[in-house]
Amino acid sequence: MSDTLVNLRDIRFVLYEMLDVEALTKYDYFADYSKDTFDTVLEAAYKLAREVCWPSYAEMDRVGATFDAKTGETSVPKCMHRIWQAYKEGGWGGETAPAEVGGQQLPACVAAATSLMFNAANTAANMYVAGAGGAAGLILSFGSDTLKKVYVEKLYAGEWGGTMCLTEPQAGSSLSDVKSTAVKAKDGDHYLLTGTKCFISSGDHDLTENIVHPVLARIPGAPAGVKGISLFIVPKYRVGDDGAVGELNDVVTAGIEHKLGIRGNATATLNFGDRGECRGWLLGEPNRGLAYMFQLMNHARIGTGLQATSLASNAYQHALQYTRERAQSRKISEKDPASPQVPIIKHSDVRRMLLTQKATTEGLFALLAYAASLGDKELCSPDEAERLAATDMLDVLTPVCKAYGSEASYDSIVQAIQCYGGYGFSEEFPLAQMLRDCKVFPIYEGTNGIQALDLLGRKVVMKNGAAFKAVLDEISKTVAEASRVESLKDMAVKVAAASDAVGDVTAHLAGIAMGGDIELYMSAATPYLRMFSRLVISWLFLWQSTLAQKALEACAGDENYYKGKLGTARFYLNNELPHLHATVQILKNGERTALDFDEAWF
Amino acid sequence: MKILVTVKRVPDPESSIKVNPEGTGIVESGLKWVVNPFDEIAIEEALRIKEAQGDVEVVVVSVGVSESQEQLRTGLAMGADRAILVKADRPDTAAVAKILVKLVEKEQPTLVILGKQAIDDDSNEVGQMLAHLLGWPQATFISKLTFAGDKASVECIREVDGGMETIAFALPAIITADLRLNEPRYASLPGIMKARKKPMEEIDAASLGVDLTPRVRIKKMAPPPARTAGRKVESVDELINALQTEAKVM
Repeated sequence: MSDTLVNLRDIRFVLYEMLDVEALTKYDYFADYSKDTFDTVLEAAYKLAREVCWPSYAEMDRVGATFDAKTGETSVPKCMHRIWQAYKEGGWGGETAPAEVGGQQLPACVAAATSLMFNAANTAANMYVAGAGGAAGLILSFGSDTLKKVYVEKLYAGEWGGTMCLTEPQAGSSLSDVKSTAVKAKDGDHYLLTGTKCFISSGDHDLTENIVHPVLARIPGAPAGVKGISLFIVPKYRVGDDGAVGELNDVVTAGIEHKLGIRGNATATLNFGDRGECRGWLLGEPNRGLAYMFQLMNHARIGTGLQATSLASNAYQHALQYTRERAQSRKISEKDPASPQVPIIKHSDVRRMLLTQKATTEGLFALLAYAASLGDKELCSPDEAERLAATDMLDVLTPVCKAYGSEASYDSIVQAIQCYGGYGFSEEFPLAQMLRDCKVFPIYEGTNGIQALDLLGRKVVMKNGAAFKAVLDEISKTVAEASRVESLKDMAVKVAAASDAVGDVTAHLAGIAMGGDIELYMSAATPYLRMFSRLVISWLFLWQSTLAQKALEACAGDENYYKGKLGTARFYLNNELPHLHATVQILKNGERTALDFDEAWF
Repeated sequence: MKILVTVKRVPDPESSIKVNPEGTGIVESGLKWVVNPFDEIAIEEALRIKEAQGDVEVVVVSVGVSESQEQLRTGLAMGADRAILVKADRPDTAAVAKILVKLVEKEQPTLVILGKQAIDDDSNEVGQMLAHLLGWPQATFISKLTFAGDKASVECIREVDGGMETIAFALPAIITADLRLNEPRYASLPGIMKARKKPMEEIDAASLGVDLTPRVRIKKMAPPPARTAGRKVESVDELINALQTEAKVM
């Protein structure tokens, strides 16, 4: 077992040195905080993660959530009740929520760090908390005063659970095909819902006295497609205006999925209104549902990147410890077969695997915490231009967080297992579960294919490409800064060249789109996303390198950490970034084999 | 009633500890530091007394480096009312006990609760020394604490070799907490926010007028010898012979 679940030193570097979280405390909204309080929060989260959540990691998987077809009841593993209680007592459900609804108003970038810890320790468990917080956030943003009063505080406090109900059997990636309906009741302010939702995370369980479902459905007569979808709040048990929980609301669990991973979280199929008695309350205005849901979805997409990164971080910490202890073979230069075997971390191929993991997890955490800090700016900056700029950056980076975050993390865990050899393949060690758990992240919250379409089809072109250009401008600023540091000049040159190449190929692709070959343009989406992600991570590493170099020159101590940071950054730029140029070439060649490949040829 | 609880900053028990090349101590850089786990139990016990009895002030105190503030804040976040940090550079156990005497004289607590030992050097001395210097009753290694009806005395169950010992004595007194006394709570977010507004007093040890000269000198620190491979013996006789002549434990 590893000493740590995540790299705590790196978290502190990202929060305090890179993102200067302390500066947030100058805003009224965060004025109650100080660096000391952030430290205590990080400390408390880590302790809870390691002592309560992590010891149950295997049990969550082995026992899993269960569904009793006779009674229709869904149960979570026993250990989950203790974890829920601890989250609840600690107030972690309302970490970033405003104080007036019982929250703690913690900056999102600090919460990104605690989320990394909690998810590294037990991601399936943390999903129950995230579900409740997500539903609460939606109601807080768009709900009527009555809905807010009834639901928000209970959800943040962990009294009630929450979900998000989008997918239907015929409408997964294609939300415009949602068929669930909501008919205005004749005798009240509610609607009557009918329909089936599937793959609902935390969809049913025995942790709380109620579960609150935000549900996408159509009001009869609404326009076809995405412009006719509304959002409803549908509780499992009906709730009086006084908050008292009453009778069942005709929400029936049809079953839960038997899954490859995150088995401790109940992924339910829910039938709404089989008896015609399922009441839901409209959130905000009719037909605006998808736009509302996207506020939650964007948040959840960054959350998914964090979930994946947290598992990869934990797997890396394990691999690091294991390779330091496991002795096999001798250095290639050692010819004496009687000499003792060396720890495998001494072998160059093992170091390569470790560095790949270190670069992946540190690069991704920098990205995710940066994305979260953009959310903080969006919320608090008194400067409107700064707020808008933050929103634009976040829009462009969200698909990168989700898709590259989940894909690179999965690959990173594969490397961690490889470090363990045969033991990694065995379920006796936790890495196999981490790999299984991680596989859902490229799939849910919008598949990575959808993220790629979002990036190339929407985010790159939005505002006439201004948001995309804003990212490249930020990269230029970092390049300029790094160019002033002698030892980083070569790295700055690499990032600048990559940025130019990406700008160049983006213009090339835009030409294809404007020429009308939109199918060819969009077929480039996935390689484009990977290419752009590599640029973004390289940029963040260059930014970090500048800080690390300065810290070393200032003799601030912690030399091993900063040298390690510089080495990791260099490793990424030397080994990962060059793939970007291959993709640029592929895209410039107008690669269309998959597009033109006749189905009959498969 | 006032309860004084001691809190020591120690390396995280889960981290791997390395002895420095000079053999004078451990490598401290890169270590994660936490509240001594036995002191957490001591804090928890004080908080439970407060919750049961109402009018109780819980004061957490640490003697050591400025960074010990972090551990005191954790104590405040758990629910203690205020904190005192006595800044001192690597005091030995006798110096800590003498500093605590000064604090007891100033604060006049009814009860001082300490962890039975700190998990860094495992000395297990401060509670006993403090009781001696104050001339107060002491109950070490306790696993249960019960107040008498008039709250002027307590009954404690101590974990001793081979069983439990129940003792009763009048307050004020010194208590040292053993593992089974309670299961400490986790600091909550609201608790952390409240802690920010709780007072933390800093005192320089030199200002207390106690003799801080170390009585204990660490001559050398070395990691325990690496465990060597075992071997199978053919018979009981051979085993006994090996235990007598090689291991010399019989």
